[in-house]
Amino acid sequence: MIKIIWIILVILTLFAFLVGYLKLVSSLLVGVLLLTTFIKGGLVIEYFMGLKDVTLKYRLIPTLWLASIILLIGVAYYLPL
Amino acid sequence: MKKHLKQQLPPGDFGIWIVVYIELITFALLFLGYAFSRRADVALFNQSQLLLDQRFGFANTLILITSSYFVVKAVESIQLIDRKKAASLSSKWLLLAMSLGSIFIINKIIEFVGKAEQGINLSTNSFFMFYLILTAFHFLHLLLGMIILFNIQQKVKKGAYSKDDYKGMESGAIYWHLVDLLWIVLFPLIYIIR
Repeated sequence: MIKIIWIILVILTLFAFLVGYLKLVSSLLVGVLLLTTFIKGGLVIEYFMGLKDVTLKYRLIPTLWLASIILLIGVAYYLPL
Repeated sequence: MKKHLKQQLPPGDFGIWIVVYIELITFALLFLGYAFSRRADVALFNQSQLLLDQRFGFANTLILITSSYFVVKAVESIQLIDRKKAASLSSKWLLLAMSLGSIFIINKIIEFVGKAEQGINLSTNSFFMFYLILTAFHFLHLLLGMIILFNIQQKVKKGAYSKDDYKGMESGAIYWHLVDLLWIVLFPLIYIIR
């Protein structure tokens, strides 16, 4: 299972790199990039840090941190100037 | 009952989670400082970002997630019943993780030197101020993570951990995953999103 998580992380990282390297970044793709960043961070929290098996309160703190950060970065990006 | 309790609590010592929460808050301020400062001069941030080599960011992300994976394998290995085999295997995984950490260090130094040669420093502009502070601060955390992994590896070699007692090892592993987690947010934010 951990190997699958690692493969997903590699694929999502490759996706982010290609979007940037091939200069495909658009408003829509920034949203996708933020979503994939949330997924990657979530996988690290749940599977690498091993929080998937613990009670919700312990899982919530880093997950809420990640969600808030991604959301606020999105707000800073999309909010009209 | 013991097993039930174990599943209720997060891995590692309680103290490491306090450290994790403090680091998460600190980096959150820096990430959001960058994201909202960018709004003040989007053109400058986009223009400056073009001077970064995304290949370094990409390589370092791959390095960290793979190194984190190796650390998970090290913690898994220490739980083997055969203590000698557990120590040998776990030590091997940790050495692999540290090797990747060393490559990250080399990559980052090359990147920092390159930027210095271009005359880029903290006062160049807001983008580079955030870039240098965020990446250098993260770099310091990675260096600490390497020291922690080295200490764990030495203890593993001496047989200090077993399947019944590896909490200290888990704490070190949690710190390494934190370094990985922070970079996972930093990479798209600084290198890609524009």
